[in-house]
Amino acid sequence: MRRDGLRLVERASHAEAALWRRLRYEDDGACREPLFDLYAALARTIARAEFRRRPAYGLEKADFEQLAFEGLLEAIERYDPMHGAPFSAFARPRIRGAIADGAARSSEGAAQFSARRRLEADRLKSLLPAAKAGADPLAELAELASALAIGMMVESARHAANSMDALSAYESLAWRDMQVRVMEEIDRLAGTERSVMQQHYLNDVPFVEIARLLKVSKGRVAQIHRAAVARLRTRLRKE
Amino acid sequence: MPAMCDEATMQQLVEAMQAGQDQLERVSALLEEFPEDARLQFLHGSMLISAGRLIEAHRALSRAVALAPDFAIARFQLGFFQLTSGEAEHALETWGRLDRLADGHYLRKFVDGLRCLIRDDFTGAIEQLQQGAALNEENPPLNRDMQLIIDQCRSLLARERAADQSGEAASETSLILQQFANKNLH
Repeated sequence: MRRDGLRLVERASHAEAALWRRLRYEDDGACREPLFDLYAALARTIARAEFRRRPAYGLEKADFEQLAFEGLLEAIERYDPMHGAPFSAFARPRIRGAIADGAARSSEGAAQFSARRRLEADRLKSLLPAAKAGADPLAELAELASALAIGMMVESARHAANSMDALSAYESLAWRDMQVRVMEEIDRLAGTERSVMQQHYLNDVPFVEIARLLKVSKGRVAQIHRAAVARLRTRLRKE
Repeated sequence: MPAMCDEATMQQLVEAMQAGQDQLERVSALLEEFPEDARLQFLHGSMLISAGRLIEAHRALSRAVALAPDFAIARFQLGFFQLTSGEAEHALETWGRLDRLADGHYLRKFVDGLRCLIRDDFTGAIEQLQQGAALNEENPPLNRDMQLIIDQCRSLLARERAADQSGEAASETSLILQQFANKNLH
């Protein structure tokens, strides 16, 4: 938890400069993620504006956001903090460029899946049980369903008001309680598991971008995701 | 013994800075000639902070402390810069050596006050920072920075007290409502 005393003296510009310094000159890769978080809102804003402005070629708003995240990550990798220009000025054209490139690729028919379906496909592939001789297919299906439900719950926590429309007052309360518990458990997860769950479910970042963010393979992200979901299920069962 | 900038030039630099004149280029030029002068590195670091060149500022202040580990004001300012950069652990490490200063030294009081602040002990922070300010005759601008922190601690404590009081009022109200509800049930 952040302490009030530190918040009193911390200056945003100093804190950001320290993150760039550590990422660029002290080889501290852990600073990549807080920098991404700092500018994710900028990427989303640009994605929304571009979505309104340019032909979508069948892409959805979420596709534009993910292209914007790609551009943001690229900009984080390339930015020279000693160069003088603030990062937002450096990143803006690169984020727009990533969206333009992605939209062009899509117009050529290369994009087969929407961003939403790619996220869901990532998730499902990571959670699918490995084929085991003699395994009970029904039990495995139940396991898979509960693992996917945890993801749905986290996602719907972001749109809590809408998700409760169709529920009774009691059901809404129970659902909301469960959401709060899931979110708390995510906060309690250790470093990379927490990062993967937060970026994927709360920021809609696909596994391939999380892999770039954390400097691990996409397969490793899938493993971490699977382990995190399993841990959440165990902890939620215990309570 | 590394070559050092002469006292008269240093004095001129400090006076020009105090008069609000930009001396960044001049200090940079002097550093070409005297790269191991911790005082120049410290002045350079302070100017770079004002210019918003924060990564270079960190480098210059760190260099000043590395060149002269007992250069107390440089060590204090490096730690303070780390604190404002969200690097409290580094700040505590940097300030460690200042515990060797005499008990009544203003920088020790300031450091103790900032340590209290890191622990969210706002009353302790105000007390120590005020004592430091009273003892500090050598660096008045630093008192202004510390006074800002004292003021922020005071308003935070005032907000906390107000929140506590409204919390008490709310729980009294809910107690009355509870009794009212119980009465209606019977």
